[in-house]
Amino acid sequence: MNDMRLMERAVDMNETKIAAKGVQVYYGATHAIKDVSIDVPARTVTAFIGPSGCGKSTFLRCLNRMNDTIDICRVEGDIRLDGEDIYDKRVDPVQLRAKVGMVFQKPNPFPKSIYDNVAYGPRIHGLAKSKADLDEIVERALRRGAIWDEVKDRLHAPGTGLSGGQQQRLCIARAVATEPEVLLMDEPCSALDPIATAQVEELIDELRAQYSVVIVTHSMQQAARVSQKTAFFHLGHLVEFGETGQIFTNPRDPRTESYISGRIG
Amino acid sequence: MIDQHIASAFDRDLEAIQALLIKMGGLVEEAILLGAQSLETRDTELADKVRAGDKTIDALELQINEEAARTIALRAPVSKDLRTILTVLRVSASLERIGDYAKNMAKRTHVLADQRQIEGPDAALRRMAREVQEMLRDTLDAFVRRDAALAEDVRQRDHDIDQMYNALFREFLTFMMEDPRNITACMHLHFIAKNVERMGDLVTNMCEQIIYLVTGEHPEEPRQKGDQTAIFGGDA
Repeated sequence: MNDMRLMERAVDMNETKIAAKGVQVYYGATHAIKDVSIDVPARTVTAFIGPSGCGKSTFLRCLNRMNDTIDICRVEGDIRLDGEDIYDKRVDPVQLRAKVGMVFQKPNPFPKSIYDNVAYGPRIHGLAKSKADLDEIVERALRRGAIWDEVKDRLHAPGTGLSGGQQQRLCIARAVATEPEVLLMDEPCSALDPIATAQVEELIDELRAQYSVVIVTHSMQQAARVSQKTAFFHLGHLVEFGETGQIFTNPRDPRTESYISGRIG
Repeated sequence: MIDQHIASAFDRDLEAIQALLIKMGGLVEEAILLGAQSLETRDTELADKVRAGDKTIDALELQINEEAARTIALRAPVSKDLRTILTVLRVSASLERIGDYAKNMAKRTHVLADQRQIEGPDAALRRMAREVQEMLRDTLDAFVRRDAALAEDVRQRDHDIDQMYNALFREFLTFMMEDPRNITACMHLHFIAKNVERMGDLVTNMCEQIIYLVTGEHPEEPRQKGDQTAIFGGDA
């Protein structure tokens, strides 16, 4: 076991970042998430996989209360971030989302400059005391987003003028600018070419040193490449949750087996 | 679970590669039997046939390797599919090795044909070879039927082969001590016996791989080790 690559796959699974218990989600009369319990470990990439409509994105959106914005959506159960109930009345969802950042499927930079895209979050959360402070935060975030070198000479150009892959990395930089503890990613690479995908995946792997990353992906190979833990959702149930290598070589549940190996199930 | 992929071409690829393995297994079984027969009857013509046949076995192994590499590259198999490909690769490598041992047995038939006949070991060697061939047949059955219990059964049967080898080892020593003129023949026969014993070990490896294929776990229970000639020197 002296192989470095094998070693780095070993994860300290002891620390739980997000603990969800008995989560139910309803969209009106539709029961979308059925009694899901899962412990998302700290400083680990956790992948949510499953067929369309299985509830993986819905569940992801519960983790930073994005479902609050949907009127007919009702969330029950218990979701705790570092032991604190995120659905407690005293929790401000805006503050929560600063701690639990999100990156979406389609890169969605604001129609502002690259600089302002990243500076927006720190500004509204009052994280910078001065212009110099803010400059530093922006640079740090862009570096963490692995895009600094590409944009440092045109920080005031519009973010929308970047390529798709660059826009997505800008969005990741924007998400990390508020110093979140958890990063939720909903199909972050589905609109990107293979090179940009590889860059974002490399970035995800670097981010896990500091954050808990939860990624929803339709690409099983992506889940296999970037995650240490994989959760398989099917028809609103969490069918199986385990170490990624185990899920892809020896899944315990026949439904997982059928799905990951591309069988009709 | 329905056992078909959405991409039916993937199913066809997997089936084709497994069919190649079964074909290879059949040829190796035949090589063992014919090799042992050529030895017992000192039939050099049959021995030459076995030696020539090994080329087909080697070619099949190469083809299986290529098909497996292609399937891994194009289909990125996971789970049971991945374990199938891994098993095919390892089993084909073991089969190739067994084929080599059978060829070697045939090769030694030529030398032995010119030596004085020693009564006894020939029949024992043929029984041993037949036993190994039956183990191999059951192993291939276990692979096709995904039958871990059968694979485990075969795995335990390797003990019998080891016992047969131990008995032969002592017999050869006796023959050589009795008359030094027996030494050349006995050395060759001993190499053959050892090779057949190795065939049994390779079949055992295949069985372990098949258990992994079916259950996803490597067998834990250690199997009995029967070859004790390295410990006791055979003169007990």
